[in-house]
Amino acid sequence: MNELELIEKAQLGDKKALSELVKNYEQTVYNFSFKICRDKDKAEHTMQETFMSMVKNIKQFSGKSKLSTWLYTVVSNHCLMLARSSRKHDYAASLDDDDVLIDEKSVADWSVTPDKVTENNELKIILDEAIQKLPADYRIVFLLRDVEGLSTEETGKIVELSIPAVKSRLHRARAFLRNELNQKLKYETA
Amino acid sequence: MKQHKTINCKEVMSHICDNLGEDLDSPRCVAIKSHLDECESCQTYFKSVDNTIQFYKKYNVKLSDEAHTRLIDYLGLNDE
Repeated sequence: MNELELIEKAQLGDKKALSELVKNYEQTVYNFSFKICRDKDKAEHTMQETFMSMVKNIKQFSGKSKLSTWLYTVVSNHCLMLARSSRKHDYAASLDDDDVLIDEKSVADWSVTPDKVTENNELKIILDEAIQKLPADYRIVFLLRDVEGLSTEETGKIVELSIPAVKSRLHRARAFLRNELNQKLKYETA
Repeated sequence: MKQHKTINCKEVMSHICDNLGEDLDSPRCVAIKSHLDECESCQTYFKSVDNTIQFYKKYNVKLSDEAHTRLIDYLGLNDE
Protein backbone atom coordinates (compact mmCIF):
# COMPACT_ATOMS: atom_id res chain seq x y z
CA MET A 1 0.00 0.00 0.00
CA ASN A 2 1.43 3.40 -0.92
CA GLU A 3 1.55 6.40 1.39
CA LEU A 4 -1.48 8.16 -0.11
CA GLU A 5 -3.62 5.04 0.39
CA LEU A 6 -2.39 4.73 3.98
CA ILE A 7 -3.26 8.37 4.66
CA GLU A 8 -6.75 7.94 3.17
CA LYS A 9 -7.38 4.89 5.37
CA ALA A 10 -6.00 6.69 8.42
CA GLN A 11 -8.33 9.62 7.72
CA LEU A 12 -11.24 7.17 7.88
CA GLY A 13 -10.09 6.05 11.34
CA ASP A 14 -8.09 2.94 10.39
CA LYS A 15 -5.69 2.47 13.33
CA LYS A 16 -3.60 -0.08 11.44
CA ALA A 17 -2.92 2.47 8.72
CA LEU A 18 -2.01 5.07 11.34
CA SER A 19 0.39 2.59 12.97
CA GLU A 20 1.97 1.93 9.61
CA LEU A 21 2.49 5.65 8.99
CA VAL A 22 4.06 6.03 12.46
CA LYS A 23 6.39 3.09 11.81
CA ASN A 24 7.41 4.54 8.44
CA TYR A 25 8.47 7.87 9.94
CA GLU A 26 9.36 7.26 13.61
CA GLN A 27 13.09 6.81 12.96
CA THR A 28 13.29 9.93 10.77
CA VAL A 29 11.34 12.05 13.25
CA TYR A 30 13.33 10.81 16.26
CA ASN A 31 16.67 11.32 14.52
CA PHE A 32 15.75 14.81 13.32
CA SER A 33 14.44 15.75 16.79
CA PHE A 34 17.69 14.55 18.34
CA LYS A 35 19.73 16.53 15.86
CA ILE A 36 17.99 19.72 16.96
CA CYS A 37 17.76 19.02 20.72
CA ARG A 38 20.99 16.97 21.16
CA ASP A 39 19.20 15.19 24.03
CA LYS A 40 17.58 11.74 23.75
CA ASP A 41 14.81 12.40 26.31
CA LYS A 42 13.80 15.67 24.66
CA ALA A 43 13.97 13.99 21.24
CA GLU A 44 11.64 11.21 22.39
CA HIS A 45 9.22 13.73 23.91
CA THR A 46 9.23 15.76 20.67
CA MET A 47 8.66 12.62 18.61
CA GLN A 48 5.68 11.63 20.79
CA GLU A 49 4.12 15.10 20.53
CA THR A 50 4.71 15.20 16.77
CA PHE A 51 2.92 11.90 16.15
CA MET A 52 0.15 12.82 18.58
CA SER A 53 -0.39 15.92 16.47
CA MET A 54 -0.42 13.74 13.35
CA VAL A 55 -2.98 11.35 14.85
CA LYS A 56 -5.24 14.22 15.96
CA ASN A 57 -4.99 16.19 12.71
CA ILE A 58 -4.66 13.53 10.02
CA LYS A 59 -8.20 14.30 8.77
CA GLN A 60 -7.12 17.88 7.95
CA PHE A 61 -4.05 16.73 5.99
CA SER A 62 -4.80 17.80 2.42
CA GLY A 63 -1.92 16.07 0.66
CA LYS A 64 -0.74 19.34 -0.93
CA SER A 65 2.65 18.87 0.69
CA LYS A 66 4.48 15.65 1.52
CA LEU A 67 3.69 14.04 4.88
CA SER A 68 7.42 14.18 5.70
CA THR A 69 7.42 17.97 5.14
CA TRP A 70 4.45 18.29 7.47
CA LEU A 71 6.23 16.20 10.15
CA TYR A 72 9.44 18.25 9.81
CA THR A 73 7.31 21.38 10.33
CA VAL A 74 5.76 20.04 13.53
CA VAL A 75 9.14 18.94 14.92
CA SER A 76 10.73 22.30 14.04
CA ASN A 77 7.95 24.31 15.66
CA HIS A 78 8.02 22.16 18.79
CA CYS A 79 11.79 22.47 19.14
CA LEU A 80 11.69 26.23 18.53
CA MET A 81 9.08 26.56 21.26
CA LEU A 82 11.26 24.54 23.68
CA ALA A 83 14.33 26.58 22.76
CA ARG A 84 12.54 29.90 23.30
CA SER A 85 11.35 28.84 26.75
CA SER A 86 14.88 27.88 27.87
CA ARG A 87 17.18 30.19 25.94
CA LYS A 88 20.68 29.55 27.25
CA HIS A 89 22.91 30.69 24.42
CA ASP A 90 22.73 33.67 22.20
CA TYR A 91 25.44 33.90 19.61
CA ALA A 92 23.24 35.83 17.21
CA ALA A 93 25.42 38.93 17.47
CA SER A 94 28.60 37.16 16.29
CA LEU A 95 26.60 35.51 13.49
CA ASP A 96 25.81 38.94 12.06
CA ASP A 97 29.44 39.84 11.50
CA ASP A 98 30.86 38.28 8.32
CA ASP A 99 34.32 39.65 9.12
CA VAL A 100 34.38 37.49 12.25
CA LEU A 101 32.66 34.51 10.65
CA ILE A 102 34.95 34.30 7.63
CA ASP A 103 38.53 34.41 8.86
CA GLU A 104 40.83 33.55 5.97
CA LYS A 105 43.77 33.05 8.36
CA SER A 106 42.02 30.36 10.34
CA VAL A 107 42.43 27.49 7.87
CA ALA A 108 43.89 24.09 8.76
CA ASP A 109 43.60 20.40 7.98
CA TRP A 110 41.57 18.46 10.53
CA SER A 111 42.74 15.51 12.59
CA VAL A 112 39.61 13.40 12.11
CA THR A 113 37.32 12.52 9.21
CA PRO A 114 33.49 12.19 9.15
CA ASP A 115 33.59 8.39 8.82
CA LYS A 116 34.85 8.21 12.45
CA VAL A 117 31.68 9.73 13.94
CA THR A 118 29.92 6.50 14.88
CA GLU A 119 32.84 5.13 16.88
CA ASN A 120 34.16 8.29 18.53
CA ASN A 121 32.25 9.54 21.60
CA GLU A 122 34.65 12.42 22.20
CA LEU A 123 33.92 13.65 18.68
CA LYS A 124 30.17 13.36 19.30
CA ILE A 125 30.52 15.64 22.33
CA ILE A 126 32.41 18.19 20.23
CA LEU A 127 29.67 18.08 17.56
CA ASP A 128 26.90 18.39 20.19
CA GLU A 129 28.58 21.34 21.89
CA ALA A 130 29.27 23.18 18.64
CA ILE A 131 25.74 22.97 17.25
CA GLN A 132 24.14 23.84 20.60
CA LYS A 133 25.90 27.21 20.42
CA LEU A 134 23.88 28.02 17.30
CA PRO A 135 20.51 29.71 17.91
CA ALA A 136 17.74 27.17 17.27
CA ASP A 137 16.36 28.94 14.18
CA TYR A 138 19.78 28.80 12.48
CA ARG A 139 20.27 25.19 13.63
CA ILE A 140 16.97 24.10 12.08
CA VAL A 141 17.77 25.71 8.72
CA PHE A 142 21.21 24.02 8.65
CA LEU A 143 19.75 20.64 9.57
CA LEU A 144 16.83 20.76 7.13
CA ARG A 145 18.86 22.00 4.17
CA ASP A 146 22.29 20.42 4.61
CA VAL A 147 21.72 17.36 6.79
CA GLU A 148 18.22 16.22 5.77
CA GLY A 149 18.77 17.37 2.18
CA LEU A 150 15.59 19.40 1.69
CA SER A 151 15.53 22.10 -0.97
CA THR A 152 15.88 25.79 -0.09
CA GLU A 153 12.20 26.25 -1.04
CA GLU A 154 10.98 23.39 1.19
CA THR A 155 13.14 24.65 4.06
CA GLY A 156 11.70 28.15 3.66
CA LYS A 157 8.14 26.83 3.80
CA ILE A 158 8.82 24.83 6.95
CA VAL A 159 10.45 27.67 8.88
CA GLU A 160 8.31 30.38 7.23
CA LEU A 161 11.27 32.31 5.84
CA SER A 162 11.92 33.76 2.39
CA ILE A 163 14.49 32.06 0.17
CA PRO A 164 17.08 34.86 0.69
CA ALA A 165 16.56 34.59 4.47
CA VAL A 166 17.08 30.80 4.36
CA LYS A 167 20.26 31.27 2.31
CA SER A 168 21.56 33.92 4.69
CA ARG A 169 20.99 31.74 7.75
CA LEU A 170 22.51 28.73 6.03
CA HIS A 171 25.62 30.72 5.09
CA ARG A 172 26.08 31.89 8.67
CA ALA A 173 25.33 28.51 10.23
CA ARG A 174 27.84 26.75 7.97
CA ALA A 175 30.56 29.31 8.68
CA PHE A 176 29.87 29.34 12.42
CA LEU A 177 29.92 25.54 12.76
CA ARG A 178 33.03 25.23 10.61
CA ASN A 179 34.81 27.73 12.85
CA GLU A 180 33.74 25.92 16.02
CA LEU A 181 34.89 22.55 14.67
CA ASN A 182 38.07 24.05 13.26
CA GLN A 183 39.05 25.19 16.75
CA LYS A 184 38.59 21.67 18.14
CA LEU A 185 39.65 19.44 15.25
CA LYS A 186 42.56 21.21 13.56
CA TYR A 187 45.96 19.56 13.69
CA GLU A 188 47.97 21.14 16.48
CA THR A 189 51.50 21.95 15.32
CA ALA A 190 54.19 21.24 17.91
CA MET B 1 47.25 32.01 0.16
CA LYS B 2 46.62 33.25 -3.36
CA GLN B 3 45.65 36.76 -4.41
CA HIS B 4 43.58 36.73 -7.58
CA LYS B 5 43.27 39.87 -9.72
CA THR B 6 39.58 40.25 -9.07
CA ILE B 7 38.84 38.08 -6.11
CA ASN B 8 40.47 37.28 -2.77
CA CYS B 9 40.39 34.32 -0.39
CA LYS B 10 37.84 35.90 1.95
CA GLU B 11 35.38 36.38 -0.92
CA VAL B 12 35.94 32.81 -2.08
CA MET B 13 35.44 31.43 1.43
CA SER B 14 32.27 33.46 1.84
CA HIS B 15 31.04 32.10 -1.49
CA ILE B 16 31.83 28.55 -0.36
CA CYS B 17 29.55 29.05 2.66
CA ASP B 18 26.85 30.34 0.32
CA ASN B 19 26.94 27.73 -2.39
CA LEU B 20 29.37 24.91 -1.65
CA GLY B 21 30.42 24.77 -5.27
CA GLU B 22 26.92 24.96 -6.77
CA ASP B 23 25.93 27.45 -9.46
CA LEU B 24 29.41 27.91 -10.87
CA ASP B 25 28.40 29.17 -14.31
CA SER B 26 28.21 32.96 -13.90
CA PRO B 27 31.38 35.00 -14.69
CA ARG B 28 31.92 35.69 -11.00
CA CYS B 29 31.52 32.00 -10.16
CA VAL B 30 33.96 31.04 -12.90
CA ALA B 31 36.50 33.41 -11.30
CA ILE B 32 35.81 31.83 -7.91
CA LYS B 33 36.25 28.32 -9.31
CA SER B 34 39.47 29.36 -11.03
CA HIS B 35 40.77 30.78 -7.74
CA LEU B 36 39.67 27.67 -5.86
CA ASP B 37 41.45 25.38 -8.33
CA GLU B 38 44.75 27.10 -7.62
CA CYS B 39 44.52 28.10 -3.97
CA GLU B 40 45.43 25.44 -1.42
CA SER B 41 44.13 27.52 1.48
CA CYS B 42 40.67 27.89 -0.07
CA GLN B 43 40.61 24.19 -0.97
CA THR B 44 41.27 23.36 2.69
CA TYR B 45 38.51 25.76 3.71
CA PHE B 46 36.11 24.16 1.20
CA LYS B 47 36.96 20.70 2.56
CA SER B 48 36.37 21.81 6.14
CA VAL B 49 32.91 23.24 5.32
CA ASP B 50 32.01 20.07 3.45
CA ASN B 51 33.30 17.93 6.33
CA THR B 52 31.26 19.99 8.81
CA ILE B 53 28.11 18.94 6.96
CA GLN B 54 29.24 15.33 6.63
CA PHE B 55 29.95 15.09 10.37
CA TYR B 56 26.37 16.06 11.20
CA LYS B 57 24.94 13.86 8.44
CA LYS B 58 26.73 10.79 9.76
CA TYR B 59 25.95 11.40 13.44
CA ASN B 60 22.64 9.55 13.78
CA VAL B 61 20.76 7.99 16.68
CA LYS B 62 18.65 4.86 16.50
CA LEU B 63 15.21 4.66 18.06
CA SER B 64 15.22 1.86 20.66
CA ASP B 65 12.55 -0.85 20.76
CA GLU B 66 11.51 0.48 24.19
CA ALA B 67 11.03 4.02 22.83
CA HIS B 68 8.99 2.61 19.93
CA THR B 69 6.75 0.74 22.40
CA ARG B 70 6.32 3.85 24.56
CA LEU B 71 5.33 5.81 21.42
CA ILE B 72 2.72 3.30 20.31
CA ASP B 73 1.32 3.18 23.88
CA TYR B 74 1.24 6.99 24.08
CA LEU B 75 -0.70 7.18 20.81
CA GLY B 76 -3.13 4.45 21.85
CA LEU B 77 -2.24 2.36 18.80
CA ASN B 78 -1.10 -0.74 20.72
CA ASP B 79 -4.09 -2.86 19.71
CA GLU B 80 -2.86 -3.16 16.17
